[in-house]
Amino acid sequence: MGKLDQRNNGYGPNGNGGAAREEMLTLEVNAAAVEALSDYYDEPAWMRAARRDAWALYERMDWPHTKEEAWRRLPLARYPLANRQIAVAPKPLHALRALPACWLSPLAPQTQVSGIVVHQNGAVVYQDIEAQVAKQGIVVMDLHAALRTHGDLIRQYWMQGSITRPDFNKFTALNAALWHGGTFVYVPEGARTLRPLQAMVGYDDQGSTGLHHTLIVVEKGARLTLIQDRRSLEFLPELSSEIVEIYADEGAWVRYASLQHWGEQRHSVSVQNARLARDAHLLWVNVALGGQITKDFLRTDLLAPGARGVMQGLAFATREQIIDQSTYQLHQAPDTHSDLLFRNVLRDQAKTVFYGMIRVDPGAQGTQGYQANNNLLLGKARAHAIPGLEIAANDVRCSHGATVSRLDEEQLFYLQARGIARYDAEQLLVQGFLRPIIERVPLACMRDGLDEEIAQRFRGPSASAQ
Amino acid sequence: MAQTLEIRDLRVRVEGKEILKGVTLTVRPGETHALMGPNGSGKSTLSYTLMGHPKYEVVDGDILLNGESLLELSPDERARRGLFLAMQYPVSVPGVTLYTFLRTAASAMRGYGETARRNGDQRLHAHLIPAREFRQEVNAEISKLKMDQTFLNRYLNEGFSGGEKKRAEILQMALLKPRIAILDETDSGLDIDALRIVSEGVNHLQTELGMGLLVITHYQRLLNYIHPEHVHIFYNGRVVHSAGPELGEKLEAQGYDWVQAEFGV
Repeated sequence: MGKLDQRNNGYGPNGNGGAAREEMLTLEVNAAAVEALSDYYDEPAWMRAARRDAWALYERMDWPHTKEEAWRRLPLARYPLANRQIAVAPKPLHALRALPACWLSPLAPQTQVSGIVVHQNGAVVYQDIEAQVAKQGIVVMDLHAALRTHGDLIRQYWMQGSITRPDFNKFTALNAALWHGGTFVYVPEGARTLRPLQAMVGYDDQGSTGLHHTLIVVEKGARLTLIQDRRSLEFLPELSSEIVEIYADEGAWVRYASLQHWGEQRHSVSVQNARLARDAHLLWVNVALGGQITKDFLRTDLLAPGARGVMQGLAFATREQIIDQSTYQLHQAPDTHSDLLFRNVLRDQAKTVFYGMIRVDPGAQGTQGYQANNNLLLGKARAHAIPGLEIAANDVRCSHGATVSRLDEEQLFYLQARGIARYDAEQLLVQGFLRPIIERVPLACMRDGLDEEIAQRFRGPSASAQ
Repeated sequence: MAQTLEIRDLRVRVEGKEILKGVTLTVRPGETHALMGPNGSGKSTLSYTLMGHPKYEVVDGDILLNGESLLELSPDERARRGLFLAMQYPVSVPGVTLYTFLRTAASAMRGYGETARRNGDQRLHAHLIPAREFRQEVNAEISKLKMDQTFLNRYLNEGFSGGEKKRAEILQMALLKPRIAILDETDSGLDIDALRIVSEGVNHLQTELGMGLLVITHYQRLLNYIHPEHVHIFYNGRVVHSAGPELGEKLEAQGYDWVQAEFGV
C-alpha cells in the first residue's frame, strides 16, 4: 500500500483514489458494457471473465415472477427495468466539506470514525483512514481500486455467498456483470478498529442504474464496526441492484449498521449475505427508511459451531412506500445461535412485507434460533408478516412470532394523563417501539439522527413531499 | 394558584352499565379527603373518569376545577390544568425511558412546546426543558424518594416492582406539581418502608404546593401516614357517608358490613 500520510489511504486528498480513469462513461445495459467497464477500470482478467459469465447468466435468466414466494407481494412490474443505462461520472477527490450537504450532514463527525469512503454516482469522491488503523492493514476503500491492491483476496471471496451469487436471480446477475462503484472493507487477522468505519453510497445523477457492490472481509479474531448509508435524489423512477457480502472468519466480531435512505423514486433490490465461521459474532442492524419500492434479501449463514448472528431491523414506511424484506437465518452447524428482531412502522397507504425463515440443517444440534417481527400500524397501511421455520435437527430451541398492532390506548391515556398531548404521546410510543433497534446502532450522533428522522417521518405530511 | 375540585352528582357508564350513581364531593386547596370503600364499589371508575379516560361515559353531572367544567377536556388538558392521578396500575411503556418520559411530561406541563411553536423554533429539543436544568431537578427529586438514579434509564414501569411503580408515580407528581392529586390505591404493593417514604413525599408536596388531595384506598393503613380531615365511605357508586378521621379507624376495626346495614344500600 505504500507509505501513508497522517490521514489518507495512500491517495492524496486531491488525487483520484477511485476510478482508474477520469473521463465520463455512459453505457447501455448490454454485452458491450461488460467489456467497456472492464477496460475502463483496467481490471484483472479474472474479473473480466466473471463479468462475462454473469452477463451470460443475465441474458438467460428471467426477471423474478410473482409466483415465487419471495416476490409474491412485490409489484415488480412497477420497477423501471427496461432501457436501463449506466453511467460513471468520476470526480476528483474533494475535501469532505465540498460534498453535497444532504450527504455530508448524515455522516458522523470525522473524529468519531476511523475511516471513511464516500461514493457519488458510482465513483469515490472522498476517502480517508486514520494512519494508526491503516498501519494494521485495515482498509475501507473503493472496490475498483482494491482490485489492484487486494486483488487475490477479493478473488478468493468474490460472490461466494449462498445468495450473493450471480445466479441467485437476474438482479444479482446484473450486479455481477455490470457493477460499478463498490465498497471494500478489509480487517486482517487480529486487527481491530476502536472507532467505526463509515461508507456512504450516494446518487444524484439521473437515468443511471445503481449497481453498488460491497465486500467486507474480517479475518480471524479481527473486529469491525461499519456504518454504511445510502442516499439518493432523483426526478424519475430509478433502479438499484445492490450486493453486500460479509465474510467473518474464525472468532471475528462484526457490527454492521446498514442504513437505507434512498430517494422517493428509487426502486431497489438488495441481496446481502453474511457468512460466519467458527465462533464468529455478527450484529447486523438494518434501517430501511427511504425508496419507493424496496426489496431486501438479508441472510446470515452460521457455518461452524459457536457462530452467532443477531439481526435487527427497523423500517418506517409512509405514503405509497413499499418495503419488502426476506430474511434467512441458516444454521448449518451445531451450537450456533441466531436472534432476529425486525420492527416496522407504517402510516398512510404504505405496505411492508416481512418474510422470515429460520433453517436448521440436519446435524445442527444445540442450535438456538429466534425470530420476531412486530408491526405498528398508523393509518390504513398494510403489514404482511410471514414467519417460517424449517428444522431438520431434533435438539434445538427455536421460536418465531409476528404481531401486527395499533397504538395502545392505555399507554396513550397514561402519557396524556401526564400532560403530554395525544399527538406527542403517539410520537413517543412510535419512537419507543423502534428504540430497541436504534439502541444497537453505533455512535450516539447516529442514534440521535435516526430518532429525529423517525420523529419527522411520524410528523411529516401524508400527501406532500417528505 | 390553588384550585378546588368539585364533583357534582356524577353518573358514569362503562360499557353500557351504570357504575357511578350520583357522586358529589368537593376538595378544596390544602384539604385531604379519603375515599374508602370495598372492592367493586366504583372507586377506580371515579378516578379514571376524573382524569378523562375515554372508556368512561359521563351520562350526567359535572366535574369542575375552579368552577370550569372538565368534561369536554382531554386527559392531557386536564393534567395541564393541574389534575394528577397516581394510578393503581401504571402501564409500562417499553422503549420510552423514565427520563425521556419525565422530561417530555414536565416540558408539556410547563408550556415549553407551546413556546417553541409560537416562536417557530424547529430545533429537535426546542419543545423540551434544557437537559442540564432538568437533570438537576430530577436528580434532586429522585433522591428524596430514595430511588436509584439508574431508574431514569429504564423503560417506563417496564419490569418495575409494585413498590417501584408507586414511587415512580410520586416522582412524577413531584415534577409535575399538580393542584389536585388523586391517589388511587397508592398503598397497594408497598412494604412498610416504601409506604413511609411515599407518604412523606406526598405530605411534603401538599405542604409545598398547597394542593388538594383525594386519597382512594381500601385500607386505613395509608391514612396512618397521610392524615385526612375528611373520610368518605364509597359504596355502590355513591358517597354514602362522610365524617372526620375517626371514620377511617371505625372501618379498619369493623370492616364494611355495618355500612350496608346502617345506610340501607
